[in-house]
Amino acid sequence: MRSFLNLTCFLFLLSTIARAQDAVVTTEQLIADIFEQYTAESEEAIDYDTFYEDLMYCAQNKINLNITSREELERLPFLSDIQIENIQSYIYKFGKLQSIYELQLIEGLDLTDIRRMLPFVLIRDTEVAGKKIYWKDLSKYGKNEIFFRMDKGIETKEGYHFLPEEDINAAETNSGNYLGNALYNSLKYRFHFKDRMLVGVTAEKDDGEQFIGKQHVGYDFYSVYAQLNDFGKFKTIVVGDFRANFGHGLVLHPEISMGKSSYVLNVIPRNSGLKKYSSTDEYNFFRGAGVTLRLRKFDVSVFYSNKLIDGDTVNGAFSSINKTGLHRTLDEMNIKHTVNQQIIGGNATYTFSNFQVGITSVHTVLDNKLDPDKSVYNYFYFSGKQQTTTGIHYRIRWHKINFFGETALTDNTSLATINGFTFSPISQVSLVALYRYYSPEYDTFYATAFSETSRINNETGFYIGTEVRPFRKWKMVAYADSYRFPWPKFGIDAPSIGTDYLFQTDFSAKRNISMFWRLKYEIKQSNLSGNEVVMPLVVPIRKASFRYNLTYFFGSFSFKNVLDGNLFCQADAGWTYGFSAIQDVSYAFPVLPLKVDVRLQFFDAVNYENRLYSYEKDVLYAFSIPMYYGLGSRYYLNFQYEMSKHISLWFKIAQTVYADDRELLSAGNETIFGNRKTDMRLMIKWVF
Amino acid sequence: MKKIYSLLVIFSFCQLSISQISSIVPTSNSIAQTSVADNHSWTAFNNPAMLGNLEQTEIGFQFENRYIIPELSNKSLQFGVVSNLVNTGISFSHFGYSLYHEMLIGLGLARNFSNKFSMGVQFNYYSAYFAASNSYRGALLPQVGLSVQLSPVFNLGFNTFNPTQTNLKTEFTEKRIPSIFSFGSEYYFSPELIWRTQIDKELSSNYRFATGFEYSMLHNLAIKLGAYNSDYLVPCLGFGFISGRFLMDLNCELHPLLGLNTMIAIRYHFLKH
Repeated sequence: MRSFLNLTCFLFLLSTIARAQDAVVTTEQLIADIFEQYTAESEEAIDYDTFYEDLMYCAQNKINLNITSREELERLPFLSDIQIENIQSYIYKFGKLQSIYELQLIEGLDLTDIRRMLPFVLIRDTEVAGKKIYWKDLSKYGKNEIFFRMDKGIETKEGYHFLPEEDINAAETNSGNYLGNALYNSLKYRFHFKDRMLVGVTAEKDDGEQFIGKQHVGYDFYSVYAQLNDFGKFKTIVVGDFRANFGHGLVLHPEISMGKSSYVLNVIPRNSGLKKYSSTDEYNFFRGAGVTLRLRKFDVSVFYSNKLIDGDTVNGAFSSINKTGLHRTLDEMNIKHTVNQQIIGGNATYTFSNFQVGITSVHTVLDNKLDPDKSVYNYFYFSGKQQTTTGIHYRIRWHKINFFGETALTDNTSLATINGFTFSPISQVSLVALYRYYSPEYDTFYATAFSETSRINNETGFYIGTEVRPFRKWKMVAYADSYRFPWPKFGIDAPSIGTDYLFQTDFSAKRNISMFWRLKYEIKQSNLSGNEVVMPLVVPIRKASFRYNLTYFFGSFSFKNVLDGNLFCQADAGWTYGFSAIQDVSYAFPVLPLKVDVRLQFFDAVNYENRLYSYEKDVLYAFSIPMYYGLGSRYYLNFQYEMSKHISLWFKIAQTVYADDRELLSAGNETIFGNRKTDMRLMIKWVF
Repeated sequence: MKKIYSLLVIFSFCQLSISQISSIVPTSNSIAQTSVADNHSWTAFNNPAMLGNLEQTEIGFQFENRYIIPELSNKSLQFGVVSNLVNTGISFSHFGYSLYHEMLIGLGLARNFSNKFSMGVQFNYYSAYFAASNSYRGALLPQVGLSVQLSPVFNLGFNTFNPTQTNLKTEFTEKRIPSIFSFGSEYYFSPELIWRTQIDKELSSNYRFATGFEYSMLHNLAIKLGAYNSDYLVPCLGFGFISGRFLMDLNCELHPLLGLNTMIAIRYHFLKH
């Protein structure tokens, strides 16, 4: 019976895969699309480097589903906990998978999921890779990569305009300008030997930072790492720059959060342990060393970090940490690396078949006192030189229900807890429920968990989500989230409440046509704009958003249309709207190793509150979600050219033109005179 | 003098209430100007992707009599040449009168890809006469169009005219050239009955929502009915005739304030080689 089913699935899936090959969808594009789904609702700059590298790493070192672990499958962020459980459960019940086509027999996996999985998984009977690392294998099978990237804006920004010395205002004006030139440049070197040994160096200079001059010589940011996996008793050894992700994010999880997105079931971050750091974010990482020991069913990790961070230090105290990593002006240079931060931490996790429990603890020491300028909203923010945070996390599978949660305490006994479950009563329906409570006093350095805002404190809420596949080709997802801020927050001068709703329907009309409709409605509270009165006046704000996304491909062409709109209303001020329409065309030349992407976009969002975000294709390792408001158009050309087996080249040029009679763009040193903004980006990749 | 003032008043009002500054772009043959997804008709300076759908070389002339005022009329000429690799089109449009006029000339290249989709690009040269300096000023601007047949009965169309928002600058003023984004669909209820919808946005004007039906009553006669709304709701009625190699379209729009707008277009299809 199983053979028959296998054969049926084989024939069906084979036709799907074979036909899918003529799509322009590459692994890079697939990763970008998944990331877009995650970040569509986010307005923060999210670290794409790490996300891309992790998935690209999976594509190059495919996961063998027959000998995989839950931890390994969790690297695929588009799989929900329920789907991971179902894959493992299927293999446990029916034995090893015979072929990739058998994936169709697993409950809760539809063709879209399987297509997404294909670049990252394989089916093999046994582990092929040898356990021991030999020097000769390193040189023979190791892969070296060098990435060189340059960005440049065409229009000159105000920060690069210097007054002549004879001008009476020259000294004052010029001292606030950028020290360096307008070129952004980064250089990365990567070496990896399968998934066992990873070494890398990163150097970066932001636009405006000085490369050679009186204030600074060389790149502004350097980062080095080395990571060994499965080395004797050591599961991981990492030296240099690294990240530590443990539990469900209340204590330590500096990577992308699994927050509210159209992946409604994926609400808790994945526990990836110690991991090399190769991004260009200049704050969110540790610098030192860490190891993870595997002791039967225990994984024990310890790490130590010692690095300098930026703070406006005066008399042994500083009010805030500058996390931007920008050192372009004298003022920014003056706060560079003024605070020493030491972090020591560890985690112990015990894993049994249906049960996992772990404890994470982190102790942070600063050489200067963090002393925020107190106002009402930040009254409970951490201040001091030392902090200890400890959390216990768990995951239990009971029948068809997965329970999960984490509870953490800081040394001032403030509490944060997140608990929930996922449940799939039948294969077509999956549910998730999650409750969180983060006390106003809870404030720790590297927490990233499910939350309405990026700061994990002062919030309590309840979230429910569902994913339903009522018919073939159709998928519906929805969530509702109700939350409360018991203490004032930035921009909300009183305790407040809010509610979010999202509904999305995906339809795969044909093998080459797919579309989705997304509706989002949120109501929350905010200070009344322009309110000058002494007493806070907090009023409700409502925002409704709509998106229609249509993707289709024919041969070497692929197309995308997006219609995006929103309505915004503060108090009784009346509704304002924002609207954007996008046409994308991509073409992969059949006779040349060249791909071209073109976009034409129009946007109309007069008010900032109606601002729109849309994902753009970009050069490798870059991910653009520019924000627009006003009236105008935008277009870009993006090229990818494989010059040889070893050298690839990306180039992008994009221009935004405003039609709302504005005479300058942006503000301060970033001011551009005129109504056009043009950016160019070049990336070269050399593999050897 | 009185006539000039009257014209100026009407012209200013037209600028505000019809397709605003887009007078130089000829009205399309399609009812209610729903040409962006109309796979069977190519109109000069409308969606250039439709040039790719031409199966026979054609020449066409169009005259639009805006509100029965000759000075507001638009005249256009188009010539589309069919070839195996790419179809080529040359278009010309003229708007205005001796004291003020605008001209547009375009060279378009378009191709149909296996009846799945068509793409077209057009390079347009816009020029305007400025009486104050007794001179012409011109600018080059691009136009890009796409038409996709998602199913045998459903098409989508996209067109952008001057997406770069190129404008004309003189010593005294800056003349805005229309920058238009259009998106529309075409649906076949049956081979005889077609329904089209379209949204246009000229960046300095209001959105224009349009819809129209085209019904082929007889082999050589079609009746067209539609409406669009920008500032006012404008009902539209039209007819299409075929006689031998000649095709004729007659469309009328009744603006509630400005009155009747009529357009006549004649096209001739050359013999297929």
